[in-house]
Amino acid sequence: MSTQRKHRSFGLRAICALAVLAVFLMLNMPQASAQTSGRDVRPPDINSTTLAEPSGPSNALGDKSDSDFWRQIRRANPGKVTIPDRQAAVLIQSDGQNWRAVRTGPIKVYGSWILAAVVVILTVFFAIRGRIRIQSGRSGRVIMRFTLNQRIVHWFIAVLFIFMALTGLIILYGRDVLIPLIGKPAFSVIASASKQGHDLFGPLFLLATLALFVSFVKGNLPQRGDLKWILKGGGFFGGHASSHRYNAGEKLWFWWAVLFGLLLSLSGLTMLFPTVIPELGNLQLANLLHGIAAILVIAFAIGHIYLGTIGMEGALEAMTDGYVDENWAREHHDLWHEEMRRKGEIEPALPPSGGRGMSAPASGE
Amino acid sequence: MSFLGFVEGPLFTVAAVVFVLGVIWKLAGILFLGIRPDYATPRGSALGGAVITNIRHLFPRRIFLANGGLFHFLTGYAFHIGLFILLIFALPHMTFLKDRIFGFGWPALPRWAFIVMAELALGGLLLLWIRRLSDPVQRLVSEPADHISTGLTLLVMLTGCFALQISHDVLRAIHMLLADLWLIYFPFGRLMHSFTFLFSRGMTGAAYGRRGVAP
Amino acid sequence: MNTTADNAATPPAGDAETAIALFLEKTGARAAAYLDACIRCGACANACHYYQASGDPRHAPVNKFRMLEKAYRRHKDPWAWLKRLSGFAPADPDIGDMQEWQELVYDTCSMCGRCTLACPMGIDIAQLVAITRAGLTAAGLAPEPIRSMAAAARDVGSPLGIDAAQLRDILNELSEKHGVPIPLDKEKADVLLIDSSLDYKVFQPTLVAMAKILDALGIDWTFSSKGYEASNLGLFTGQEDVAKAMVERIVTAAEDVGASLVLAPECGHGYASIRWEAANILGRELPFEVLHISEYLARLHREGRFGLRPLDHPITYHDPCKLGRRGGVIEEPRDILRDLAPDYREMEPSGVENWCCGGGGGVLLLESAAKTRLEAFRIKMDQVERTGAEGVVMACAFCHHTFDNGAEHFNWDRKVEDLVQLVAEHMILPGNGAATGHPAGH
Repeated sequence: MSTQRKHRSFGLRAICALAVLAVFLMLNMPQASAQTSGRDVRPPDINSTTLAEPSGPSNALGDKSDSDFWRQIRRANPGKVTIPDRQAAVLIQSDGQNWRAVRTGPIKVYGSWILAAVVVILTVFFAIRGRIRIQSGRSGRVIMRFTLNQRIVHWFIAVLFIFMALTGLIILYGRDVLIPLIGKPAFSVIASASKQGHDLFGPLFLLATLALFVSFVKGNLPQRGDLKWILKGGGFFGGHASSHRYNAGEKLWFWWAVLFGLLLSLSGLTMLFPTVIPELGNLQLANLLHGIAAILVIAFAIGHIYLGTIGMEGALEAMTDGYVDENWAREHHDLWHEEMRRKGEIEPALPPSGGRGMSAPASGE
Repeated sequence: MSFLGFVEGPLFTVAAVVFVLGVIWKLAGILFLGIRPDYATPRGSALGGAVITNIRHLFPRRIFLANGGLFHFLTGYAFHIGLFILLIFALPHMTFLKDRIFGFGWPALPRWAFIVMAELALGGLLLLWIRRLSDPVQRLVSEPADHISTGLTLLVMLTGCFALQISHDVLRAIHMLLADLWLIYFPFGRLMHSFTFLFSRGMTGAAYGRRGVAP
Repeated sequence: MNTTADNAATPPAGDAETAIALFLEKTGARAAAYLDACIRCGACANACHYYQASGDPRHAPVNKFRMLEKAYRRHKDPWAWLKRLSGFAPADPDIGDMQEWQELVYDTCSMCGRCTLACPMGIDIAQLVAITRAGLTAAGLAPEPIRSMAAAARDVGSPLGIDAAQLRDILNELSEKHGVPIPLDKEKADVLLIDSSLDYKVFQPTLVAMAKILDALGIDWTFSSKGYEASNLGLFTGQEDVAKAMVERIVTAAEDVGASLVLAPECGHGYASIRWEAANILGRELPFEVLHISEYLARLHREGRFGLRPLDHPITYHDPCKLGRRGGVIEEPRDILRDLAPDYREMEPSGVENWCCGGGGGVLLLESAAKTRLEAFRIKMDQVERTGAEGVVMACAFCHHTFDNGAEHFNWDRKVEDLVQLVAEHMILPGNGAATGHPAGH
């Protein structure tokens, strides 16, 4: 029976495995881009092995041949300009073609595989396991799991995240997915709206990520027992895995969201204010990191949303009402439940109409 | 006439008229209900009380900062400041107001300031709405009127963001359409607090100003 | 209409229409502005001692005027016609709503006005609660014993049933027992003193203390059997006939004896009634000054008419809501107490921001309100305890009663003291340097 109790780790494991795979693939990117770019885009000609002058009589072909001339340009060697913008001295940004090849190549391709894989795995999991129920039913007693402030922060970042994810995916995949469906004129409108919306909500995401860190870090530091939880597979494959307030999977999600959230925010800000960091190479790097981080966070978030809604009975109310049923706590977070019981934090559930206060009776102020 | 021409032209005119007349009707209607004269010998000034209470209630008292006071103060101000500055100083708004109403222009926001103001307005309103949906008290007492006002305002701002790349008429038209609807809805719902707050604070301030206190 | 006495005897069947009619009659521009300015931010919950005590969102002040708002939207909102026409008008509140709201406006609201401080719009929610109470009373939903006490006040002269003859007996007895003249029905006097039934029956030492002080200072004063009851339960129930009867008697009495000053006793709403409401209930300015006893004592003290022997223990002062926040008398009691007590301490917060004791507005009288009220009283005890004061002084019999009740329930060890009693006990007259006498009763 207890084998049925812990299930999060399966999804999490799958996601982790995919994430590791993705990182591995990204590290092999140069080869990947070299292989794919030839088919899709003009090859960046930067792998020339020699810079030697052409042989032959001096000046027989003039100072430079056309091909040399173009080769120099394609190497992005700066020439001379008299205007203050030094970047104008580079006639063609050949690195831009590399960037474009990586973005439209591996990031798009592997990114879509990762996202599809997560959806498939969760679908299969749901088909086999179904909804994870509260085994012993509802107790009628509840424990406060998330304070009002935590809930506000959660929904703030949730709304922003969904908005940023949708507009971001439109920016990344819209050409491939939407143009065939709705045509170019309509896509141009949607793309413009998505781009502007994405830009304007972006900075708020940094704020939300910082707020997320501050309001949820307590309880999300590694604890004794986390490793055991992981080794037991979180109970997803049988057995009962003990857990504190947050299990190792939730902790991983917290740090995942915070670190990739910061990476997304900072790389996004770089792109939003491109003149602050003048080197184009940095912007290209920021864009690539932005895409990779986005795919990884979205993939994890799909699993998180699954478990928070249809995947597990009694989980969503922790984020809406703030309270969970005592039996839910006992089954999924036994160590936390024990701690709350000792502190006398278990209250009778109230009917939906009458609620609880947002604070304990105030004393004086 | 193009859709954009319609929402920026005739529909805007209708909306503006409904807004102005509606607000006047509502405020006059409230005042028409009558204020009873106060015959008690005053201890202080009614006018002074009205002014002081109006100013004092711009800021929460220190004792109410906990449990949402500070949150409402920060998000409320962020939203309102962002909204008003964008309304007046965003370049497309300035141009529209210049062309349609005033006939003269004024300096518009640079891009960075536009972005900052948009963050304040959007973040503030979003947080306020989320709190409305999360806090047990606000959830109990919020009515459709509260959510319609918030949602409509958020939609106007959101479509404004979408339309930022001015080249797409459809996006501008959607924004303008929602702005028209917002103006038309204004006198009938909670958005009227933009005006009635002066009455409310003023009347409390006057009543208690006469008693020598400023609650 | 039947005579008013019938109302008290038989609770009328609930009648929602009467209530709604009264809601609408009493909703003027001020209430309308309040109802239209509220944006449902819930900040008021932060200020309400009952909400803090119960944690029940229904007890948030904003919720308490929602029934009134329904009636306003349907009938009196400048857009009411449009809302009805379009089908967007809310339904009229029915008797079920009103029964539910009885708890909200009677049991869990003392109309202390603290929520107004927290409201960004400055809405005087207590005012809206008063209108709601008036409607409920008209519909026969004023709870006992407030309803019958209000009727007794109107018909007999006092909510506790003290008529003119009983008054004479009480005053005579006190006068003899304490050896202090307590004039009643003098032909002419400068000062008319009124008092509340609580003092006549329960806190008699306070009454005696006032008499001693006035006598010692040589004031030309009197009680009058034509108007002696300071409390005004009509303000709790929203019954205009009760409210009018109470203030009319006092005004008549004051005019008959030619008083230039009516002195309101230690009774928060009694002060508000004669000082702030009476002129408006009668629709004319009053031909005399009205002072709270603490205001009067502060004035005489400032004029050097008496001095004070220092008190031997640390005290703090509890601001009665209707005297301080809603009455404007905040500094005067402190002027006296700071001079009286070498160790005077302020509660945090205090003055206009003070927490209500939880008993005002008639709440103390309601058995059904006791649980939440006592829970709310913890806030008050905690406030007092944090000052470290041994005694908590107040200038309101209803607060005093609430404090006594709470102290008994919780076995609380702090002294609950009356301002005028302390003054009477520690008064020094200039010249002879002697106190007025013995402590005014035990």
